[in-house]
Amino acid sequence: MMKKIKNHIEELFKEIPRTQESELVKQEIIQNLEEKVIFLMESGKEEEDAINKAIVEFGDIDELKKELGVKNPDQKKSKLAKLNLAYSLCGSGLLIVLFLFINFYYTPNTIWFVYPTFGLLWWPLSMYFYWQRNK
Amino acid sequence: MVRSDIIRGHLDSIILRLIFEKDRYGYEISQEIGLRTNNRFQIKEATLYAVFQRLEKKELVEAYFGDITHGGKRKYYKITSLGKAYLNELTKEWHEVKEIIDLFMEDL
Repeated sequence: MMKKIKNHIEELFKEIPRTQESELVKQEIIQNLEEKVIFLMESGKEEEDAINKAIVEFGDIDELKKELGVKNPDQKKSKLAKLNLAYSLCGSGLLIVLFLFINFYYTPNTIWFVYPTFGLLWWPLSMYFYWQRNK
Repeated sequence: MVRSDIIRGHLDSIILRLIFEKDRYGYEISQEIGLRTNNRFQIKEATLYAVFQRLEKKELVEAYFGDITHGGKRKYYKITSLGKAYLNELTKEWHEVKEIIDLFMEDL
């Protein structure tokens, strides 16, 4: 008999990413709705009526979606931006060291490594601002 | 029945207050709200669980599993000391708001 409730909630949760958190909330909701149905039946409602009433009164799931789902992609983005920043720092660092080495090893009398260094620094700099914006 | 968007901003207060009185589980809270307001205001379950999520994330309430009933485990909510402090703040704020709105709406 409670299958209908379970199916309905599963349907509503379809668009919410399956995580341990959302799974727990789902279980909690199903459990509480079942109790509601039992309570309604004890106060004299037909099973069918009770289930329908519980489902209708459940309401709009958008708010819950916001609590469970929408925040996660943002966090992911910020994490990715951080990774990009770290990568750009390592990458540009290595390249600068390479230029430094070539400069002083082959042409120790002219200092030219500063020019590519300035160019290269745009990379981590842009990643830094990207990360800041996504934080 | 009162328009729910007016009450929306105070749902945290209502639910924190009910959990403050004693540890409660989801359905109990929605029932209690209907009972106390004489069904003039009823909270939608979907909204209720969104509020729980929010309160739990802010560490204003803690959840734990209680006894098994009707085949499932009830999830109970307990207010934290942070939650109590927050509720206290909300209460003060509400008295402020009430006074301000009353300035305009009273004796009309």
